[in-house]
Amino acid sequence: MSQKMVVIKGTRDGISIILRRRSDFETIRNTILEKLQKGGDFFKGGEARLLVKEGHISQEEMEQLETMLKEYGLNLKKDHPLYTIPFPTPPLPETLILKKTLRSGQRISYGGNVVVIGDVNPGSEVIAKGDILVFGALRGMAHAGAEGDANSIVAAYRLQPTQLRIAGVIARPPEGKSAVPQVPEVARLKDGVIVIEPYYLH
Amino acid sequence: MGQVIVITSGKGGVGKTTTTANIGTGLALLKHRKVVMIDADIGLRNLDVVMGLENRIVYDLVDVVQGVCRLKQALIRDKRFENLYLLPAAQTKDKTAVSPEQMKNLCDQLKEEFDYVLVDCPAGIEQGFKNAIAGAEKAIIVTTPEVSAVRDADRVIGLLEAAGFEEPQLIINRIRPDMVKRGDMMDIDDIIDILAIDLLGVIPEDERIVISTNRGEPAVADESSKAGQAYRNVTRRLEGENVPLMSLDVEPTLMERIKMLFGLRARK
Repeated sequence: MSQKMVVIKGTRDGISIILRRRSDFETIRNTILEKLQKGGDFFKGGEARLLVKEGHISQEEMEQLETMLKEYGLNLKKDHPLYTIPFPTPPLPETLILKKTLRSGQRISYGGNVVVIGDVNPGSEVIAKGDILVFGALRGMAHAGAEGDANSIVAAYRLQPTQLRIAGVIARPPEGKSAVPQVPEVARLKDGVIVIEPYYLH
Repeated sequence: MGQVIVITSGKGGVGKTTTTANIGTGLALLKHRKVVMIDADIGLRNLDVVMGLENRIVYDLVDVVQGVCRLKQALIRDKRFENLYLLPAAQTKDKTAVSPEQMKNLCDQLKEEFDYVLVDCPAGIEQGFKNAIAGAEKAIIVTTPEVSAVRDADRVIGLLEAAGFEEPQLIINRIRPDMVKRGDMMDIDDIIDILAIDLLGVIPEDERIVISTNRGEPAVADESSKAGQAYRNVTRRLEGENVPLMSLDVEPTLMERIKMLFGLRARK
């Protein structure tokens, strides 16, 4: 973002000085000064407000600015230096929920759990830092615990993957046609081997 | 030092991948050559499926090129023939993930160790094609007896000649002798007339190809498949043997046999 550090705008209530404080106060003051000089008499008798979009201006700095603005005939309404309240950035949710079918060539990689409400087709890849749950047929490649969490699981309504990976372990289904599972199944690591079991509530 | 052969066609769906799989398997099976097949169709890989090796893929061509893994780690040994290997394409990337220079480098490395490096080219004449031909010194063109496929083959031959390839060889795939006989399909001579390159083989239409492709077992190893026989012949010709084109005559139908019996229609 290359927004300017200091922007001066005319508004209905007078002049707005919009600050984005990315450097020391000296620079900001000089920039404002430069703009005031360019304006000449234009600002005389006006009212100014300060809008701080980034960073913070101290009381002392406010006073310095006030003095400087006065020299150019601007009255700083310092009763309310306006701060914009930044939107709180919500932390990334731990689980990504995907309501679609992943098709060949599509790849989902997520730093948490992944839930797919749909199928995962052959040729597609789901990679998760945590668990992978598929509410549909998992026929592609799934890698749970991609950053090494051996407790991660892969569960699917129909677990028929091309290949399964949990943490650093890779497994592929046996050669030949294997029967389509009739129940939801869970794959997890046991003694360094990926085992698949029917999913029961314990 | 081995040789690098690219299998290309221009048009899609004419049998490049099937041909690559069958020639690769044929060379390993009949001639005990050390063969590696490269799937250059990044983003639309198929060769692994046709070879039945999809579930063994851990690393792919793009990983090798980007230095994520060593070349040896990405090579998948075939499940039947131990001197046959596959370097699979990446499925979640696209053709721009690799440059022609990188492909050439890769082919140069592989031909140090293998007798044959077969590159399965993607359809089209854009980046994927340029990548696939970059490291190759020989080319096999696959076409079917259709005007559109032959037109594309002609275009590709032109591009190959411009790129310095000498004498590309032709495989005519999916020919149906019964249709040729009726005059409903271009025959071999028509195609050779237009393309004017050496014929490496003619592969008859064979439903066993569909079965073998779906099973992941190339037809060349299937003694009862006519297309398999044709691919075995292609393999021998590649190795310099002089094998005549197999007879593609169709069995006469019952009606024709009766007519022949009465001398109404002489057998040609």
